[in-house]
Amino acid sequence: MANSTGKLDGKVACITGGTRSIGRAMAEAFLAEGARVVINGRDEAKGRQALKELNAGDRADFYGGDAAKQSTVEGLIDFTIARYGQLDVCCLNSGGVQATAPVFQMSDEEWNLEVDWNLNHVFWGMRKSLQHMIPRQSGRIIVTSSVEGKLGKPGLPGYVATKHAVNGLVKSAAHEVGTLGITVNAILPGIIETDIVRETGPASAVAMGVGSYEALIEMFCSESSIKRPNRVEEVAAVAVLLASDAARNMTGCLFPVDGGTLPY
Amino acid sequence: MGTGGLGVKMGALDGRVACVTGGTRGIGLAIATAFLNEGAKVVINGRDAAKAQRTLAELGRGDQVHFIAGDVKKKADCEAVVDGTVAHFGRIDIMVANAGGAADFAPIAQLPDEPMQDALLWNFWHSFWVMRRAFNYMIPQQWGRIINISSVEGKVGKPGMSTYVAAKHAVNGLTKSAAKEVGTLGITVNALCPGVIETDIVKEGGAGAAAAMGLTYDQLLAQFAADSAIKRINEVEDVANVAVLLASDIGAGITGSLISIDGGTAPY
Repeated sequence: MANSTGKLDGKVACITGGTRSIGRAMAEAFLAEGARVVINGRDEAKGRQALKELNAGDRADFYGGDAAKQSTVEGLIDFTIARYGQLDVCCLNSGGVQATAPVFQMSDEEWNLEVDWNLNHVFWGMRKSLQHMIPRQSGRIIVTSSVEGKLGKPGLPGYVATKHAVNGLVKSAAHEVGTLGITVNAILPGIIETDIVRETGPASAVAMGVGSYEALIEMFCSESSIKRPNRVEEVAAVAVLLASDAARNMTGCLFPVDGGTLPY
Repeated sequence: MGTGGLGVKMGALDGRVACVTGGTRGIGLAIATAFLNEGAKVVINGRDAAKAQRTLAELGRGDQVHFIAGDVKKKADCEAVVDGTVAHFGRIDIMVANAGGAADFAPIAQLPDEPMQDALLWNFWHSFWVMRRAFNYMIPQQWGRIINISSVEGKVGKPGMSTYVAAKHAVNGLTKSAAKEVGTLGITVNALCPGVIETDIVKEGGAGAAAAMGLTYDQLLAQFAADSAIKRINEVEDVANVAVLLASDIGAGITGSLISIDGGTAPY
């Protein structure tokens, strides 16, 4: 490996929700390409365990906190810059639902959580990282959106609305910083059986009127062309491309990794 | 890609066979070069055998790359380049329908039939003919990648360019239908939608397109740049880098996608 040159040699990345699933796959792929990475998650023990498994020594670190909170998102970025001297790639990846419901039964608490978690988190992270990236005239912002950023599903009003909003934010930001060496893109995965989906899927299935978790996964698969869920590694490979110099001229892009689900 | 245990460079496309129409220059040459660098064997197609010999000499990749002459506006040539790839390298894994363009631009009110027919042959029929032929090999082997080089004009319209715009929109529609047909067969079908790139084809046809829009060639390029977020035009390597990802094993979960490589131009 001594002569191996990584696509992200010398780069520093931070990833919200990086201890497992999509964020974890991004961390592994970034490390394999030579980057240094700070992962974030709510659970300190899980974070320490993830660092152990990543086995990247000084090249990886953990910052604990809830990505639905401004102090966590901004703290992660400050910590990353303090730890590794710079921030090149900001992955705003955390997100999901907790107790989703159809609009007429949606609680204010759930709505506000989803807005904070899926939308405000991305705005806070983008604003803070751009303040660092603009003077350096270099940077990559990668937002984990969803096919629900382009489609609607019953029973997921907050998720659908916030992912649509995130896609709009990505497009506006891309135009703001397009000449400054900074790209802003979103990846739109189809259904992936992540830990979050396994944990909250059964309740979501009820809210969406499809009965069971298995029926929920089957519904998403049936809407795809590949008739299977996507895999976290497939998303991570696109993240590596977008983070690398090779994608310096791709911005404002809503990149589907959805096995042929989206109509556009 | 990392390095293997014996210090041998592992390519993302080791063992794969690719065919790239319009592969002697511009975007196609960049894609062919990137595929070769990742370990694939590559057939490049083009109309001009003399030009191809120069390209092959410049590539310096010996038996790893092979040229098949043909005009993609002809069905027999399209099918022959696919069949010829299989005859030469034993299989076809990756079909890049890259050739394309348009000529004799005019506003619709003044547009004769011929430029429209020419644009459809060059971009749409060509993509259909090579895809259909390639499927005949890919479906039995349950592995394949179709990559159509479309354009930002496959998503948005420009006045005076209706030929190219209509043909590229048709390519995008074909891409989406095909993806659904073969989605469970290990075959992906995607379109790459680059912004304007100053390739030879654009240099040759750009002045005419600009005139149909009431612009000079330089003004045309400036307008494309102005429509983008990066305020500059794209480069052929931008497209090649995405093509490698789609062609590789890890690209298996991406299909039916119209991927914008346009510096933030297309609205969706």
